[in-house]
Amino acid sequence: MQMRQLRGWLVRLLGLFDRARREREFAEELESHLAMHIEDNLRAGLSPEEARRRALVKLGGETLTKERTREQGGLPMLETLWQDLQFGLRMLWKNPGFSLIAVLALALGIGANTAIFSVVNAILLRPLPYAEPEQLVQIYEANTQQNYTRFAFSLANFVDHRDQQTGFEQVAAYLRRDVNLTGAGEPERVQVAVVSASFLPLLRVQPMLGRAFLAEEETPGKHRVVMLSHGLWQRRFGANPQIINQPITLGGNAFTVVGVLPPRFQFPDPFGANPLSDAAPKADALTPLAYDPKDLGDRGSHFLRVIGRLKPGVPPAQAEAELRAIAGRLEQQYPDRNKGWTVNVFGLQDEVTRAIRPALLLLLEAVGFVLLIACVNVSNLLLARAAVRQKEMAIRQALGAPRVRLLRQLLTESLLLALLGGMSGLALAHWAMRAFLAFSPSSVPRTDEIRLDGLALLFTFGITTLASALFGLLPALQTSKPDVQETLKEGGRSAGAGASRQRTRSLLVIAEVALSLLLLVGAGLMIRTFISYQRVNPGFRTDHLLTMKVALPAAKYREPQQLAAFFEQAIERIKALPGVQAVGAVSDLPLSADGGVFAFTIEGRPSVSAQDDPTAVWRAINPDFFRAMGMQLRRGRAFTAQDKPGAPEPVIVNEMLANRFWPGEDPIGKRIQIYDLEPRPWREIVGVVNDIKSAALNADPTPEIYAPFSQRPRSVMTLIVHTTLKPEQLTAAMRAAVQSLDKEQSVYRIRTMEQFFADAVAAPRATTFLLGALAITALLLAAVGVYGVMAYAVTQRTHEIGIRMALGARAGDVQRMVIKQGMTLTLVGVAAGLLASFGLTRLMKDLLFGVNATDSLTFVAVAALLLSAAMLACWIPARRATKVDPMIALRHE
Amino acid sequence: MSEKTDVWQGTLALMVLKTLEALGPLHGYGIARRIEQTSENKLAINYGTIYPALVKLEQEGYIVSEWGASDNNRKAKYYKLTRAGRKRLAQETQKWETTTAILARFFVPPQES
Repeated sequence: MQMRQLRGWLVRLLGLFDRARREREFAEELESHLAMHIEDNLRAGLSPEEARRRALVKLGGETLTKERTREQGGLPMLETLWQDLQFGLRMLWKNPGFSLIAVLALALGIGANTAIFSVVNAILLRPLPYAEPEQLVQIYEANTQQNYTRFAFSLANFVDHRDQQTGFEQVAAYLRRDVNLTGAGEPERVQVAVVSASFLPLLRVQPMLGRAFLAEEETPGKHRVVMLSHGLWQRRFGANPQIINQPITLGGNAFTVVGVLPPRFQFPDPFGANPLSDAAPKADALTPLAYDPKDLGDRGSHFLRVIGRLKPGVPPAQAEAELRAIAGRLEQQYPDRNKGWTVNVFGLQDEVTRAIRPALLLLLEAVGFVLLIACVNVSNLLLARAAVRQKEMAIRQALGAPRVRLLRQLLTESLLLALLGGMSGLALAHWAMRAFLAFSPSSVPRTDEIRLDGLALLFTFGITTLASALFGLLPALQTSKPDVQETLKEGGRSAGAGASRQRTRSLLVIAEVALSLLLLVGAGLMIRTFISYQRVNPGFRTDHLLTMKVALPAAKYREPQQLAAFFEQAIERIKALPGVQAVGAVSDLPLSADGGVFAFTIEGRPSVSAQDDPTAVWRAINPDFFRAMGMQLRRGRAFTAQDKPGAPEPVIVNEMLANRFWPGEDPIGKRIQIYDLEPRPWREIVGVVNDIKSAALNADPTPEIYAPFSQRPRSVMTLIVHTTLKPEQLTAAMRAAVQSLDKEQSVYRIRTMEQFFADAVAAPRATTFLLGALAITALLLAAVGVYGVMAYAVTQRTHEIGIRMALGARAGDVQRMVIKQGMTLTLVGVAAGLLASFGLTRLMKDLLFGVNATDSLTFVAVAALLLSAAMLACWIPARRATKVDPMIALRHE
Repeated sequence: MSEKTDVWQGTLALMVLKTLEALGPLHGYGIARRIEQTSENKLAINYGTIYPALVKLEQEGYIVSEWGASDNNRKAKYYKLTRAGRKRLAQETQKWETTTAILARFFVPPQES
């Protein structure tokens, strides 16, 4: 039976296409039916007229029969839909001005939403590309006293947790470092991740070639094996399939290649932890984390990141509780190192996206507003048209069309408008996303996953339909309800319906203006944030500086003297280059993520407990560092060549440290002891330098200690060159100078200080740009809304204006009247918007810097902007109002 | 619409099929007329309602149509049962007889108590 029904439906579907033929045939059939019936009636003795009449009556109405049969032959629903669509298209075509504005408004609203949604989807929503990603977590050490929630693990703690836990399938630790890759070809700086053997199995990633690490390779001596990333393998080793068991040289040591990672492998680093870190979350190579189980090093030295895969069915809270219990035991066992330390567990996906989430959510809301404004705009336009179509609707109702039918047609027209807007919006989104990717800073995670995919299309379709309902429903309801009698009368202007319509339109415009103001305030605050970032005085020079990192491999440069000698010679050579004013060298560049924080004690103030010791950032520098960086020595002296190995070890501190520990006193001459590697001499403070921004642009300066690098040479130093030339011009020369000392040595992270700063503000810059674009769109839409309402009001009141002018009103008075009406609306909208902003901007507090969420300057400026735009929008119809010829207006109704 | 009983679409369709089985190929007018006669005028149908029913039956493949000539040599569209139509009719007849038989047990004649 079902098959038959299906067949029936299919035939009906096909019947849509030969409707003319069907109707013709049926007309013939009906004709023959009537003829036969009439014949019979005649034969029964009726008169010809009576015979015909009875036949028709018995038929039940010719027109009705034809209609019923026609409906049965096709699919009436589809047919009316098709009719409505055709009609709608014709209507749109005949009103190009209206159609264009409406479609444009919708395209902007829908397109912006689709673009932002795709970005949010790729970055926040889509699960990480590992099997069962919901089981993956990031584990940190934490210390509530010192306010650490996401601290690195120490090796000893990691091993203990790993061995004692039961809630995880696997845990793995890793750390990242940059290493020199030498051998065939140019020396290159690569990023190596040193990982536990359980790392890849935990992620369920299979190597493309070769194998992963074995547990025994975590032993020193067996650990010189390496897995290459797919990119490195292709780029540097020509995708050589015989690469397995070949040796490569990392950091001066030979490593054997045992495997190659698959092409789309993503390193799961919670990038969000430090958005200023200029290391992208990738790894060129993996090597095993090797350690001697009998010597796990200082339990207080935290340098490992840890991830884990939960056992199926184990909730993260439970695993966390277990780890905390283990941490508690460790606290008992090792009170001097582990006191106060516990553990935090967070979902891996959340961690990776943490930093960017607030900005994205803000954009999502903003874009929702824009869509709302666009819908309100189109709604208003449709309402204006409703008045024009009153006659048409009244006549159709009078002819028997049920209200539902009219409603359906109007909604179909709305849907058509929405579809056109949606398609244009999709194109706009595609284009906008490419722009976003071009502008987005490299610190935005997962950007390679951003694309317009099936889900985005579905989303677009969804909000298109939603939008059409939003903007179409109200006008459709209003339009299909004309007061038939009133309208059909001559000069039909039903004052009642008109007034309520006008009120609706006014309310809509007020809403538009309010929403637009909200967006503009948000954008304004972001702009001020961005400017604040730009204005931050970092405490050192930002122009005419070139920075470059050099890392000497331990294998080649074993002795401290070798390290010191290399750098000193390099500095000499670079100093000799033309255009160079000063050359500085530092172990960690401020505002890069590299700094190390060390505890220290002050002479005469013995340490109470390890936890309460003061800490500071400790940098090794050359004598010229401050000069190159444009920093000011406030007291005492800088380092000199006399501060060499064998001589007493001086330190220079920054003002903040001096003021904190010796308030009101002169710190020169005081001594401190730093908790670094042995020996730990007492170091004398010989100078005080100004504070600089060390951790982040929007964070306060931290205590800093500087020491001469020649006395404690490091293998990795950043060279800073202050030059009168354009800094980029020195790049090749600097590299050559370094390589003239050691041709296998590579330099990396070459950036001018300006570039460096640009990267630091890249995230707020992108957010501001996008939000600003959305706010401008909103402003335009609101202005168009105000214009539309005023233009329409003028048309409606032409009669009244005519009378006023005939009674002596001048052009100025008329203009003022119109503008007053428009600005009143706008003012109400602005007031509502300001109120809303007051309440809502506190939600974006985390993104702001240097400005309050209720900053009055921004609010006032934005209100003024909106009012001016509205004024302009009112002015055009106002002028048109003055052109009204009273004679014509009085005659016109 | 007449004051007498209206006919349900599905029942109408069955009556059309039954009529075609009894009388062979017939045109719409004839079918309608015959249905009215068979019910001894207890069924009042507007003849026009036959046509949507015929269209539906043809869409579902139970009948086919063909133009032919009526007794007075008038051009008319004739409908005839297909094999599927016959089968459907047989099924429905079977169902009807079963239903009647079951119901008959409930309405016991007075002499059996």
